[in-house]
Amino acid sequence: MLTKVLSAAHFGLETIPVEVEVNVAKKGFPGFSIIGLPNKAVEEAKERVRTALVNSGIDFPEAKIIVNLAPADIPKEGSCYDLPIAIGILNSLGLTRLPAEKSFFYGELSLDGSLRHTKGVFLLALAAGALQVKNLFVPALSANEAAVIKKVNIYPVKHLQQLLAHLLQTEPIQKLSPADRAKPQSSLEAEFDFREILGQDQAKRALEIAAAGGHNLLMQGPPGSGKTMLARALPGILPDLNDQESLEVTKIYSVTGNIPPGGSLITKRPFRAIHHTATRAGLIGGGAPPHPGEISLAHCGVLFLDELPEFSRSDLEALRQPLEDGTVSLSRASGSVTFPAQFTLIAAANPCPCGFLTDPQKECHCTPRQIQNYQSRLSGPLLDRIDLHINVPAVPVERIIPNRISSQTKPPRAESSKQIKKRVLVARRRQTKRFAKLPLHTNAEMKNKHIEKFCVLSDPAYQLLKQAMNSYHLSTRAFFRLIKVSRTIADLADNEKIDHSHVAEALQYRLRVPEK
Amino acid sequence: MNLAKYPIKEVNFEDKNYPAGLKELKKPPKKLFYRGNIDQKLFEKSLAIVGTRRATQYGRQVTEKLTAALVTAKVTIISGFMYGIDTEAHRQCLEYGGRTVAVLGSGLNIIYPPENEALYEQILAKKGAIMAEYPADTQPQLWTFPQRNRLVAALASLGVLIIEAGAKSGSLITSRLARQLGRKIFAVPGPITAATSIGTNLLIKTHQAKMVTEVTDILGGKIESPNLFADQKLTGLEAKISQLLASEPLMADELVKATGENIVNVSKTLSLMSLKGLIEEVSGKFYLARATLRTSSS
Repeated sequence: MLTKVLSAAHFGLETIPVEVEVNVAKKGFPGFSIIGLPNKAVEEAKERVRTALVNSGIDFPEAKIIVNLAPADIPKEGSCYDLPIAIGILNSLGLTRLPAEKSFFYGELSLDGSLRHTKGVFLLALAAGALQVKNLFVPALSANEAAVIKKVNIYPVKHLQQLLAHLLQTEPIQKLSPADRAKPQSSLEAEFDFREILGQDQAKRALEIAAAGGHNLLMQGPPGSGKTMLARALPGILPDLNDQESLEVTKIYSVTGNIPPGGSLITKRPFRAIHHTATRAGLIGGGAPPHPGEISLAHCGVLFLDELPEFSRSDLEALRQPLEDGTVSLSRASGSVTFPAQFTLIAAANPCPCGFLTDPQKECHCTPRQIQNYQSRLSGPLLDRIDLHINVPAVPVERIIPNRISSQTKPPRAESSKQIKKRVLVARRRQTKRFAKLPLHTNAEMKNKHIEKFCVLSDPAYQLLKQAMNSYHLSTRAFFRLIKVSRTIADLADNEKIDHSHVAEALQYRLRVPEK
Repeated sequence: MNLAKYPIKEVNFEDKNYPAGLKELKKPPKKLFYRGNIDQKLFEKSLAIVGTRRATQYGRQVTEKLTAALVTAKVTIISGFMYGIDTEAHRQCLEYGGRTVAVLGSGLNIIYPPENEALYEQILAKKGAIMAEYPADTQPQLWTFPQRNRLVAALASLGVLIIEAGAKSGSLITSRLARQLGRKIFAVPGPITAATSIGTNLLIKTHQAKMVTEVTDILGGKIESPNLFADQKLTGLEAKISQLLASEPLMADELVKATGENIVNVSKTLSLMSLKGLIEEVSGKFYLARATLRTSSS
């Protein structure tokens, strides 16, 4: 007998409904095959489904079973078809009834018949809302992801037998109640509070500006100067995601399986720290069909690249388009996919290969040529897209230790992340108001035409800027970068007009072109 | 680069314009190759400025300060064309309109280090000379550089000035050779913590070199430096910062701590001071501008 069960496939961030057709024929040689471009994970569903059914106390039929995943020309991947295949077989055997309304079945089976956390449930719920699918049968551990989609009935399924009891209406499963769907409070905290970081006032201020205006930041300094710690403290001063952003981020996290079991909507800005050994596909996104990479996982948040010059040149070049457009396009023969990638880049670099060029205590062993080669890896268009440049000095041990161990001298109180975040929020509110009718979120995203409109300079500010252009031989691009940073500094001070003191401060964060 | 304008010439030991200083060497080169012009007048009042290849900002600053005054006194600057202090000495000499002679550790057609290609041409364009004892296409070897040093020492009539030198610097070889020739040796003291000043400090400590803090230590007498920034008015924080920077270069964070001001004010003031030419910045460290330094020392 033939049964059709509805499930879904994801292509990029799009969800396509898939009909799982299961035919159990008593005639012919017994066998079990899946067709419709399954990948290895789908192929192996045969074994999982067979064992899960047997372990749930069901006699697996000695029959010819054919499963077709339609439309048959779209490649299917993942383990989410276990549940629809199992339900299809059971229905064909007459052991269960399918619900009258359109329903999605989606989830991976464990060999004991229970359901495992499956990625992509959030996208499935979005699709269900759009396609007017009434019910969603998903693993209990993944059900929270779907909770924000209001129009759909969500049934968290723990075990195959539980689902059978529900479908036979002997013991219904409680669907998620509105109380379960209240907006979740995520408790993700930054690793460090700014208060814990001693000294480094300039770096902290630069991070504050970066957080307020979404500017990209490059920190240069010897190893051990605290570049990584500073970057990791950044999430603590970033504003929370708004609803729209939250939705976009959760989509990407769901489809890549980055939402932990039981997790729901993502409300904190992502912070992704990437090592330079990451592959291109891991960084930018890739594969066939394409999967989002780290830059998309950092969407609406922070991408932290430590040891920036160690990244291969081609990887850095590949970052240019996303930095410019806020999206990344991956083209494949089977079609091209665009993922969002509007992130703030925070990068760290040593000043030379050994790292100690600017260290006051340790001697640098690099030759001038080595240093030049190292630094030139960063030259050009990538640096052009970084608004803030700072040197992070090595803090001598004696500046830290006495404060800590002697009880007489109280350590100087630095500002806490909470206090800084307040200023950041003020600046962000101004930006939200400013760009209300534009597809922009932050000052950093402004193009030249926006700068002309939104960045009104006072006369002294303009004169100072002109003087700086001459003295420092700044390019036009650097000129506009400076104005953008000045805009954010003025926003932090809650000023609409950009004053010369704002420009003067912004000058400290400009890109210095090394002489000679 | 158009070197055709400056053909390679030769001068033999017997020739009239063979530099007199070289004749004092135990084994003077029989034949010398050069581009540009050499005459006895060029070497009449000449000083060799040498030092480490890893020049610090301090070294560069001192080189400019002293070279500027030496050029005013019409002294020819001789050096080895290597990167670091050598390059800085040549460059500053040209900058202030002086004549300079570079002695290569290779043949005249080999420009090493290659970064100095532009400097090579400038030296010739500004009536200096570039010379070598090796045939035109000789590649530099490890041993050619110390050999070249003996020419540098011998050519300099006033003596050898060492700006910065590490413990095993080639400049110390030059100073030893100069001593053997009876040339005067001058050295600039540096911080005792700086690896690049160990050699110079040692020379001073052991009385092998005369300590130099201003150009009169070399030339004697008094030379006036123009007072460029006497009329600059400083605001409160600016004055505080320039006072702090006068004793040592500092980073922005250190200035925040020392002045008790917040980073916003310090950053802003630093920008303004830098635009006024009062301070300079190299890889995050702020220095009192060289012009300002000159004033405060005079």
